[in-house]
Amino acid sequence: MKVLVFTIGPDRYGLPLRAIARVLPVVELKQLPLAPDYVAGLMDLHGEPVPVIDLSRLAGVTPEQVWFDTRIILVDYPAGDGGTRPLGLQAEHVAGIDSIDPEALRESGVAGAPFLGQVAGSAHGMLQLVDVDALLPPDVRALLFQPREAA
Amino acid sequence: MLNSLSIKSKLFAGFGCVLAIILGLLLLAYNNFSKLSTASDWDRHTLDVLDQTDQITNAMLQIQTSTRGFMLTGNEAMVGPIDKEEVRVREHLSKAITLTADNPVQQERLKRLVPMVEDWIVSVINPLIAKKRELARNAGSVQPASLVADVVEGAKTMAAIRALLGEVADEERRLLVVRSGDSDALEKSMNLVLSAGGIICIVLSVVIGLVLARALLTPLNNLTFAVGQIAAGQKGVRAAIVSRDELGKVTDEFNRMAQFIEESQANELEASNQLRAKVDTLLEVVSKAAVGDLTGSVTVTGADAIGRLGSGLQTMVDNLRKLINNVQKAGIQVTTSATEIAASAKEQEATGIEQAQTSVEILATTKEISANTAQLLKTMEDATAVADYTTSATADAQGNLKRMDLTMQTMVSATDSINAKLAALSEKASNINSVLITITKVADQTNILSLNAAIEAEKAGDAGRGFSVVATEIRRLADQTSVSTWDIEQMLKEMQSAVSASVMGMDKFSEEIRRSVGEVRQVGEQLSSVMDQVQKLAPQFDLVLQGMQSQAVGASQISETMMQLNDATQQTVDSLKATSEAVHQLQYAASDLQSSVATFSVSG
Repeated sequence: MKVLVFTIGPDRYGLPLRAIARVLPVVELKQLPLAPDYVAGLMDLHGEPVPVIDLSRLAGVTPEQVWFDTRIILVDYPAGDGGTRPLGLQAEHVAGIDSIDPEALRESGVAGAPFLGQVAGSAHGMLQLVDVDALLPPDVRALLFQPREAA
Repeated sequence: MLNSLSIKSKLFAGFGCVLAIILGLLLLAYNNFSKLSTASDWDRHTLDVLDQTDQITNAMLQIQTSTRGFMLTGNEAMVGPIDKEEVRVREHLSKAITLTADNPVQQERLKRLVPMVEDWIVSVINPLIAKKRELARNAGSVQPASLVADVVEGAKTMAAIRALLGEVADEERRLLVVRSGDSDALEKSMNLVLSAGGIICIVLSVVIGLVLARALLTPLNNLTFAVGQIAAGQKGVRAAIVSRDELGKVTDEFNRMAQFIEESQANELEASNQLRAKVDTLLEVVSKAAVGDLTGSVTVTGADAIGRLGSGLQTMVDNLRKLINNVQKAGIQVTTSATEIAASAKEQEATGIEQAQTSVEILATTKEISANTAQLLKTMEDATAVADYTTSATADAQGNLKRMDLTMQTMVSATDSINAKLAALSEKASNINSVLITITKVADQTNILSLNAAIEAEKAGDAGRGFSVVATEIRRLADQTSVSTWDIEQMLKEMQSAVSASVMGMDKFSEEIRRSVGEVRQVGEQLSSVMDQVQKLAPQFDLVLQGMQSQAVGASQISETMMQLNDATQQTVDSLKATSEAVHQLQYAASDLQSSVATFSVSG
């Protein structure tokens, strides 16, 4: 399977390509006061507001700066009401695509953050898969994806 | 019987007895006095009768005398009083009869006397007088014998009358003697009655007074004795009730009062014992609290003062217990905090030591800098020497100056052209830089594009596999581009800095050249001025030298400052050690506090 490799702090993580809609350069974000600190803000995607989550902050690591290879990964996030909504994930050092042999995937065996999944060793060190669907706790999901008003 | 009477009755009875005796005595005396008065009346009556008889005798004698005088003298003047005396005789006689109306014997005698006197006057006196007058008218006649006989007869009658009057007087005198005797007897009995009655009266009064005094004083004495004993503190003393009068009631009330006082004293004693017991309980709790045992609880309660004191003491002990509890907790907290402070002080101390080491290293570095500066200074001094040498050489080179001037002119123009070329190079480099930025952006976008292409290829499944390879290649190319761009950027930056340095150097150089050209020209015109100009180079070296020297001084100052800093750091370390020591003392003090507070037991 193919994953998009990025880092949180010094560690490498992989996001399955199937879950990704697009990769975008970092843009100016509109801040959201009183939201959890890992909610980086709102981005303007062709006129549509899309919430952006900072993966580093979500994992509890404060990013030092916005690097030249810091990207916003756009995913279609299940919004709870059956449909999906676009969600931006700001990730550091998006290195590129990597192929992982599904045979090499192992359960990590350690209960960390709920969105972290299997691990696989590679030439560049261990890589852990990120489960997009489990990224947000239900309350934050409800906070970010208010039900659309009936037209 | 006397005891059951009231004091009023007793007093009335006593004084009534005395009054009755005095009244009896008075009645007796009055009776005797009236008898005595009657007796004296009778005496006077007798004397009156005697007086009447004497009057009668006197009047009759007067008549007789007057008659005899007339008889002898014949003087009519002598006859005058006879008629008056006759009237007086009759008058006194009738009075005597009236006075003796109580005595029939005297009455009878006097009534017998009346005709005798009438007879005497009518038949004796009047005829005598008439006869005399007859004789007197018949002057010279002799006195008849019948007349003498009439006078004798008249004397006899007179004697009989006087004898009868004498009888009456005797009778009256006898009666007077009898009546005087009665009067004396009465007087004696009167004296006796008065004396005896007075003595009896006095004796009775004394007896009644004694009895009354006894009846009044005995209960009073009993009462006084009982009061004295109670006042002396004796208990159970009661006054004996000996009578039912007011004093008896008073004694009864006094006994009740004494009983009430004793009961009150007993109640008071009991209350004071209870109070003492409560106070002892309180004292026990307070004594325990005084030696530090605060576990005691006060059982004394109630709304009275001691109860409120007890509850107040309980509240106080509770508060004290809470306070000591808090102090113990605070002591533990202080100990913990002091331990933490000690730990952090140790850490700080370690940090301070590290800092000191660092500053020692810095000091060494500074010393090296200072040494380097000194070496540089020496070099500059050498340079100065060289400059001096140059000055002399300039003098030698005087001859070559013209040629040199030409060369320099050429150099100036060459420098200018180099400068212009360098400027062009710098501009080109800037252009390259902007191009590089564009290339970087393109590479970045290409990178993103390749990523998105890979994603799309993945989504396309097997159909996109070939495209995926292409995307990977594109990404590799983009990465290579990025890396190359970064390399070019670095090289360009180096080049730019080099160019900038060259431009600056060339600027300075050309400036120097220009000035030198001017100087050489001036030297060329006048040797002395050339020398002067050449010599002007020396002060510039001196300036540099001075700058270097001041730099050396600055370096040594830095070194000095660093040493001071080192000292300060050392002092900081010392202070931290002192702080650590103080914190240890604080720990000891906290332990002392805890042990002091631990003497209070509060649980329970």
